[in-house]
Amino acid sequence: MSQHDRELERRARELFLRASHDVDPAMSGRLRAARRTALSRPHASAARRLLLPAGAFAVLALASLIVWQPGGSPPSPASIGAAVESDPNDLPPDADSADPALYKDLQFYSWLAYNDTKSPSRK
Amino acid sequence: MEHEDADTDEAEKGVNASLALDSASLDDIRDVPATMDAFLASIERRAWRMAEIHLGNREDALDAVQDAMMRLVHHYGAKPAGEWTPLFWGILRRRIVDLQRRRKVRSIVVGWLGGGKDDDGDELPTWEPADDSPDPSGRLQDSQAYGDIVAALRNLPRRQREAFTLRIMEGLDVAETAAAMGCSDGSVKTHLSRAMHALREQLEAWR
Repeated sequence: MSQHDRELERRARELFLRASHDVDPAMSGRLRAARRTALSRPHASAARRLLLPAGAFAVLALASLIVWQPGGSPPSPASIGAAVESDPNDLPPDADSADPALYKDLQFYSWLAYNDTKSPSRK
Repeated sequence: MEHEDADTDEAEKGVNASLALDSASLDDIRDVPATMDAFLASIERRAWRMAEIHLGNREDALDAVQDAMMRLVHHYGAKPAGEWTPLFWGILRRRIVDLQRRRKVRSIVVGWLGGGKDDDGDELPTWEPADDSPDPSGRLQDSQAYGDIVAALRNLPRRQREAFTLRIMEGLDVAETAAAMGCSDGSVKTHLSRAMHALREQLEAWR
């Protein structure tokens, strides 16, 4: 490296440091304010770190709710019939409120209900 | 609260130490303060000058420095103080590149929208934020010389300019410069050598 190069480096560095030293007061104040802002933000960042998993959990819960169907799949007529027959102590439908024709042929109506839910495209 | 006051005092000491830089002693700026506040206080003016050299605009330079400060505090605040210097300059360098690219895209979009030409078909100036503050270089005793070196640096390719400003002006060592630039030590030396060659020709009057 020549003497000229060393002189160029020294002068460039000196001018840069002097220019940095002589930053006008208005800009110095704004830089100071920028520093304060940067240093005061970690709290917001910590809050964001907590909000992120909370948001993810909320989305997950919503997705589970959408996927999960209360009551599960409709019972098959065989299982309904079996339930009716296997438990003779079960109380019959309230006679005052139910259609008497309903429990004349429970197996027929359960079959009808089952086929209705199984093949909606027939409508 | 007392702790915060102590930090602030230390930060102000950092500023004073920075202000006391009358000579071009690199040793003075190589001492890394123990607290983040003091570190940023000691580096903020040089960082802003550096950003101004690359971006050529005071407001953009301030944005770049503020963003670099925030990113350093948020992402690397827990790192040892000895690692802050190359991390900070690396963040600032990337932020400057982002702003330069954004400015380029903005110019292209203005062109697409037909805003780049007036009714006579002449080129309109690209929009820039208002910059009505007094020229800081006018305050400098060597303002002309500083203007010359800044103009010469702006004529360099970006990577050469980065190598020169970080390695020579800011005084990072080769490894730190390489870390800040995201390249190898060898690349830093190559960029620096080419920068020196170009500057030698451009600043012939300094001889």
